[in-house]
Amino acid sequence: MNLSTAASLEAADAEPAIEQQLNRLLAENGPALLRLAASYTNTLSDRDDLFQDIAIALWKALPRFRGECSERTFLFRVAHNRSIDYLRRRRALTTSIEADAPLPDARPNPEAGLAQEQQGERLRQAIHRLPLPYRQVITLTLEEMSYTEIAAILGVTETNVGVRLNRARQLLRQLLENRK
Amino acid sequence: MKLDAELELWRDQWQASPEAPELTGLRKRVARESLYMRMMLTADILVTLVIGGATIALALRSPRPATAILAAATWLFIATAWIFGLSNRKNAWSPSASTTSAFLDLSIRRSRGNLRAVKFGALLYAIEMAFCLSWLIHESGHLSKTLIIVVTVITLILAAALIIYRKRKRTDLNYLLQLQQDLTAA
Repeated sequence: MNLSTAASLEAADAEPAIEQQLNRLLAENGPALLRLAASYTNTLSDRDDLFQDIAIALWKALPRFRGECSERTFLFRVAHNRSIDYLRRRRALTTSIEADAPLPDARPNPEAGLAQEQQGERLRQAIHRLPLPYRQVITLTLEEMSYTEIAAILGVTETNVGVRLNRARQLLRQLLENRK
Repeated sequence: MKLDAELELWRDQWQASPEAPELTGLRKRVARESLYMRMMLTADILVTLVIGGATIALALRSPRPATAILAAATWLFIATAWIFGLSNRKNAWSPSASTTSAFLDLSIRRSRGNLRAVKFGALLYAIEMAFCLSWLIHESGHLSKTLIIVVTVITLILAAALIIYRKRKRTDLNYLLQLQQDLTAA
């Protein structure tokens, strides 16, 4: 028997405890995972599909969690791995800073009075245009993860996290300022 | 703007996004995927037992060197396929707890394993067919027209499926290698 099959069958057999743990993790981290899914996808329906894929991957992975890292680190590892797999399946092109479409206008819309929301949307779109290595680091940083946690999720050194973060911030600033 | 203030502002904006959607049918989907995996595993075992068992039954019912050779060769092919399948997957199961970089390495190994499996499958099929057709000619002295047509059609269908599958897996591998290069270059 293939080991991944064995693990999946084990997950299915241990349903009630796993389901409870999963529900708790999703209640605590659902919005963060949704934002992560959004950073890997182009449409809302793709985002929701990936979010569901991540939840399934977590259900299967939880029986193998032995506490070797924090639950949150584990959760984000699984989520990023699932997202990488999503990119492979969709063969989505990694969006880059050269993307053509303009960002939403930075000026607040007085009629709607939704300046805050607009700024958030601009930021999300700018992040979406970053090359994947920078996008991964900035989104994890914005989820309040430390260098150590990010390094443990992505499998890079903490120095590399720092370098990527600096570059991501520069690019992001550039993208946001270009439209002011 | 100070760098930390900038990051704080971005954090506030980033985190002020909509709530996660309700997950529906999660349990059903996990159950369906588990059932599918059980069915695939059962199918592998059933094919082994039915084909292998049939040749043994034939050798026992009609004990001749030809039937014994058929049974032995069939089990040799089955064992070769299982050993290759297991060794090809040995280091390619999914460690979800591993890092993203390790997961990417694993996906690349898995992709290469799939490409090896295509080559192995094609070679094994050719050897099996050559053996089976030789055995039939030895037993009955000729091959019927119907059998030749059936074997040709099956072989063409399999070849087409393998070519499409191989092309897809090669594209997968190229994509993953490009992704790995992008991630390590940063």
